[in-house]
Amino acid sequence: LVQSCGHIIPESPVLALGSNFTALCILNESCLDFGNIYASQIIWKIKNRVVPKEQYREINRTVSSVTFNDTSSLATPLTCNILADGEFEQNIYGITVTVGLPPEKPKNLSCIVYQTSQLACPMTCTWNPGRHTFLDTQFRLKYRWARESFPDCIPTDVNNSCTIPDVHFFVNLEIWVEAANALGKAESDPLVLDPIDIVKPLSPHNLSVNSEILPTVLKLSWENRISDTVMKLKFNIRYRITGDTNWMEIPSEDTASPRTSFSVQGLRPYTEYVFSIRCMKEDGVGYWSDWSEEETGITIEDK
Amino acid sequence: LGPGQSIQQTYDLTRYLEHQLRTLAGTYLNYLGPPFNEPDFNPPRLARAERVPSATVDLDLWRGLTDNARLAANYRAYSRLLCYLRVLDGQVGTAELRHRLAHFCASLQGLVLSIGGVMSSLGYPLPAGPPAPPGAPLASNDFLKKMDDFWLLKELQTWLWRSAKDFNRLKKRVPPAVVTLRLEARGF
Repeated sequence: LVQSCGHIIPESPVLALGSNFTALCILNESCLDFGNIYASQIIWKIKNRVVPKEQYREINRTVSSVTFNDTSSLATPLTCNILADGEFEQNIYGITVTVGLPPEKPKNLSCIVYQTSQLACPMTCTWNPGRHTFLDTQFRLKYRWARESFPDCIPTDVNNSCTIPDVHFFVNLEIWVEAANALGKAESDPLVLDPIDIVKPLSPHNLSVNSEILPTVLKLSWENRISDTVMKLKFNIRYRITGDTNWMEIPSEDTASPRTSFSVQGLRPYTEYVFSIRCMKEDGVGYWSDWSEEETGITIEDK
Repeated sequence: LGPGQSIQQTYDLTRYLEHQLRTLAGTYLNYLGPPFNEPDFNPPRLARAERVPSATVDLDLWRGLTDNARLAANYRAYSRLLCYLRVLDGQVGTAELRHRLAHFCASLQGLVLSIGGVMSSLGYPLPAGPPAPPGAPLASNDFLKKMDDFWLLKELQTWLWRSAKDFNRLKKRVPPAVVTLRLEARGF
């Protein structure tokens, strides 16, 4: 009987941490006469803890309000109860209260195109999601061309990264992050870039090392895994004597243009060397690939 | 982007599309099967193929066009070619080929936008109105349908080949500084 004798508004609110909040418990007229209950008998509780009476206010015969100056003290449930006939306490109604923060503006948005095969170039963007909001907060990576939008990239399991499976080179892309929850929405500053300028290419592969006529020279050959049409490459080549830990590097200006081979000079005769190579876009815009698998070669004897 | 950068980017994109189409067309013609995937297959151009913007032009006439007219012709051609390609994209049976066609269509859409960007940066108006939809009736049999697809890819390859040359020439003839002066003179 008493259970259906009233309700609380607002119903299941989402409140900003540190704000103030007022709830109203409204008794049904039908119950007043029959149940002999009035708003003055209402007891507000958070969980099972009675809210101090100073925070109550009897609006009229059927309505009581409770006010919290700082929602940090609030918890679920907030209940409206009545002391029926002054003896036993009966619950009228209860609401869940969710307290949190609106999302902050996502920051430090940055993206990299990780080449994963000859044809596939997914782009992974990461950002700083900002403070914890204590609320269910949705992040979306949004991106578009000047007059063409693409479906949002929705992160799974994380809130600071998303991978777009297929990007298109040579068309400027505007990218930004949107964060939204029940208390508000925030957008990062946009990035405008051509994906070709943020590529981390696959490292060269099938590296082979062959001795030459001269005992101080070894010739390296390899295959690049991105077409010249898509991207012209420059290289770093490093080498060390087998068993040694110090790497030496070919001066970068010597390998600063597209190629699939290079002759390393000034080596010791009849010595085994280990080589490794990496590549990046020729104009230096973008990221170095990982170092390739190491390959060894031996210089011929000095006769 | 300034005009120079915009033209360079459009040139790079055209070459990139040429590169993509080279392998994609090979895969697609294999999907169509003989005789379409045979190297020496060189059928006469059927009247049906006229709906696809022909890449065959009188080179002197083409070179004699103004930059504006030539860019507009490229813009219209790729807008229409994209319509046909999207029809093609929806009918392909294999998921891998469908994915690659969809990627290529999106890149081609990027080219249309880029050409539009170049035209705007040079102060030229975009060609009015959407491209004419592929109006011709669907091919009455499978062979004619495959012939349509064959001609679409062939014309597209030729368009891309010539557009790359167009943008390469334009890139050399339109240094950024000159264009900016011309625009300012016109009160932009």
